[in-house]
Amino acid sequence: MSTLTKVLIVLLTVFSIFLCGIVVTYVANATNQKERADKLDRDWRAARTAREAAQNDLAAAKDQADQMRRDIEAQMSGLKVTISDLEAKLASVQRENTQMAQRVRDMGASVQQANELQSSQMQLAQVAQQQVAALEADRTRLSKELAETDHALMEKMAIVAQLEEKTRQLIEANQDLEMRLSQYLRQYGKAAATPAPVTQRTGLVQPAAPVARDINLNARVTAVDIRNALAELSIGSAAGVRPDMRFHVTRDQQFVCDVRILEVGPDQSVGILERIQVPPRIGDAAATNL
Amino acid sequence: MSPMPQRSAKIAVPSNLYTAILAVAFGAVLATAAFVAIQCYSQYGTIFGMP
Repeated sequence: MSTLTKVLIVLLTVFSIFLCGIVVTYVANATNQKERADKLDRDWRAARTAREAAQNDLAAAKDQADQMRRDIEAQMSGLKVTISDLEAKLASVQRENTQMAQRVRDMGASVQQANELQSSQMQLAQVAQQQVAALEADRTRLSKELAETDHALMEKMAIVAQLEEKTRQLIEANQDLEMRLSQYLRQYGKAAATPAPVTQRTGLVQPAAPVARDINLNARVTAVDIRNALAELSIGSAAGVRPDMRFHVTRDQQFVCDVRILEVGPDQSVGILERIQVPPRIGDAAATNL
Repeated sequence: MSPMPQRSAKIAVPSNLYTAILAVAFGAVLATAAFVAIQCYSQYGTIFGMP
């Protein structure tokens, strides 16, 4: 083996070892390109997804912004209407303010007049108070007089009560007397007249009313019972016939007899015959007064 | 008395030494190639093709 070959073998070995060391070092320290590529791909996909989401968000934000812009425009239009209304109200309020100011001025004048009127009213009130004081004194005096009058009135009312009691007793006695008088006069064809007060209101002297008055009842004889001395007349209690009344029976201006009523019906009455001059017949006239 | 060997003869390196050196070099290259192949297969899933 020649020397050159040996030298080449040694050099080849050295350079081989050196080159292998460089290659191993490089390969050991080299970056994993696949992993890097995968990572970049994932990052790219994530970035694309984020971009799409951002675009969607942007579109949504644009829509929302448009919606808000439309809302704001609607609100602005509404606010413009409100502003116009408020301006109209402001104008009306200003007019009212002017009117109210005018009213205030008028009211000031009225208040001044009222103050003047109040002063005059105060004067009148003072005068009225003086009059009230005078009237109060009069009222006190009249109250005393009224108390005295009440006392006298109570005494008079006691007297009036006594007089009414006496009057009631007299009326009862008068009614009893009238009843007795009527019973007495009835058999003579008369009734007690209504008593008139002796003292008239006019104060003029009046003659006293007659005590008795005529009854003036006229009837016909409708039935005769000579055997029992009874006769029936054509009127009864409806015409005013009462028991014990006496009817005079006549025939052609001739006295026939008397009939004293015993029983009275509504439209007929029956009586006993008295002082018979001639026998009575049906159709004879009968009257309480001749 | 035994005679001394002659030192005048030139020392000769056996040729097996260079064979060993070549074997070392070959082993280094082979190990490097295996390491590179393992790295490629572990990282890219293939040795020669594109992933």
